[in-house]
Amino acid sequence: MRRHAGAIVLFGLAAVAPLATRDAYFLDMIVLILMWGAISSAWNVAGGYAGQVSLGHAAFFGLGAYSAAVLTVHWGLSPWIGLVLGMALSIVAGLIIGYLSNRLRGPYFVLATIAFAQVLLITASRWREMTMGSEGIPVPFKQGFWALGLASKVSWLYLTLGFALALYLVQVYLEVSRMGYQLAGVREDEDAAQALGIAGRRLKVIAIAMSAALTSAGGTFWAQYVGFVDPFYVFSIDLSILFALNTIIGGVGTALGPFLGSILITWLEHYLRATLSDIAPGLIGVHLIIYGCLLIVMVRFVPQGLIGALGALFTWRARAAQRERHART
Amino acid sequence: MGALPQLVVSTLLLGGIYALIAVGLTLIFGIMRVVNFAHGEFLMLGMYLAFWSFSLWRLDPYVVLVVALPVFFVVGLLSYWLVMKGVIKASHNVQIFTTVGLSIALQNVALVLWTGDYRFVRPWHASEVVRLGGAALNLSQIVAFAVAVAFTGGLMAFMKFTHAGRVMRATAEDREAATLMGIDTERVYRLAWTIGIVCVGVAGVLLSPVYTVYPQAGLQFVLLAYVVVVLGGLGDMRGALFGSLIVAAVETVGAYTLGIAWKEVLYFVLFILVLVFRPAGLFGQRGAETLGM
Repeated sequence: MRRHAGAIVLFGLAAVAPLATRDAYFLDMIVLILMWGAISSAWNVAGGYAGQVSLGHAAFFGLGAYSAAVLTVHWGLSPWIGLVLGMALSIVAGLIIGYLSNRLRGPYFVLATIAFAQVLLITASRWREMTMGSEGIPVPFKQGFWALGLASKVSWLYLTLGFALALYLVQVYLEVSRMGYQLAGVREDEDAAQALGIAGRRLKVIAIAMSAALTSAGGTFWAQYVGFVDPFYVFSIDLSILFALNTIIGGVGTALGPFLGSILITWLEHYLRATLSDIAPGLIGVHLIIYGCLLIVMVRFVPQGLIGALGALFTWRARAAQRERHART
Repeated sequence: MGALPQLVVSTLLLGGIYALIAVGLTLIFGIMRVVNFAHGEFLMLGMYLAFWSFSLWRLDPYVVLVVALPVFFVVGLLSYWLVMKGVIKASHNVQIFTTVGLSIALQNVALVLWTGDYRFVRPWHASEVVRLGGAALNLSQIVAFAVAVAFTGGLMAFMKFTHAGRVMRATAEDREAATLMGIDTERVYRLAWTIGIVCVGVAGVLLSPVYTVYPQAGLQFVLLAYVVVVLGGLGDMRGALFGSLIVAAVETVGAYTLGIAWKEVLYFVLFILVLVFRPAGLFGQRGAETLGM
């Protein structure tokens, strides 16, 4: 239970937040933190637990966002059906990417994932009949749970909280289950794991397909929440980088890491946007400069992320306390 | 077949420019084993250098070229010391995210300083049309091609005939053996990075009269350069030249037959196909990609 203390506090606080305030800005922030945290967790399944770093996860996010929007606009179907369709498409796409991951390593794999997302970006922005092209799709709002038209921010908060919890549990499963241990083995030394009889290749493909499907679900929720799908955003490399950024800042390969990263990054973005846009409209890019520098500094000096840094702090303090006790006796 | 001469000449011109961007990328990869995800941002900086020199002092981009060499030499050294030096021996993932971070930072420094407006550099030669056989060409494009080819040729001669070039090739082939031979690999990395940055900075200045200047301008070219470099085999300079021509041909023929809107899909599909079937490049060593080399 102690291992999950951080998560219980975080998700608990999010759950009781609507009791304390109904401030739309504040609730919106919590929804976005949970949503980006959950989607970054989905990235973490492939990038962290399976060690397959991708900079093309926006492809799956976009598939989820578009599936729901297109089905609703063209055929009036529920976004829940779009969610399932998006996940199915993403599993297929994830299997392709997973196949590539078995042929390509390191920078080659990263390049392949970028190219994959670019193909979808171009297709979405040019296939006018289906996707309305580069103008994007405004998602029609229809009241009701079945239409994912939740008018109140509080309902959205609980929906995303459920999604975030599910993602947290998926990651915890990858830490404690047989599959998780096998994946860790494949990540640390693939050849050795293969030699021990672990089906490393299949495991990687499964992890990537899982990660893809979960990212896609996040894309559907995001599109329904924001109400607009812009191809140059949902398929952008910037978005793929954001998923990785949240996870790396928080702690790669840890269940809570992506959420911690999301708290810092999402809050930083909103805070800086609000304060700097008052000073001069041109300054809105400042938060991205900070992201870039933060990324460079984190991967080099704190590769374990916030979780690692906090953990080190706690053990250091525990040790210091222990030393003090020893000194006294 | 009336369009054939135009297609051939356009392919050549485009290929020459892509080659200059790609050669720097492949040099850095070949020697440092780092894919520079910030490569396009240095191209963008080159374009802005040309833009500001032109709009503030009416300097022609070809004059700026002379200034661009020392400027990007310093930019290259600075970025090496500040960012790359510490991660030379780090894992792939650390290196990837270091250059990704550099890319985000540079792109947004440009956005904050110079806004996201589209800017144009249009000296007199940008609107000069030259007729060559059945093809009509823009004078800026021809000069850009000539300078790019001279530059790429010079770099290849440098790699082949000078001592520094030999040392760099030796390091690319076998890091450990090179260190044992008394080669200061740290200096080699610094040199490779700096030359790569100078190449792409110069390419940015050369491209400025033909393309639009804005903070994300690097992205479209750098994606293209990855395609080129993987086609030619990462780290292979001659391969990069062939790769440039292939990509340029796909682009011009694709634009001619499918229309401009879909041409990009073509080369990304080509890219993925090459990654699947010949990941070490059309001419590269088989198996390099699975070692993550």
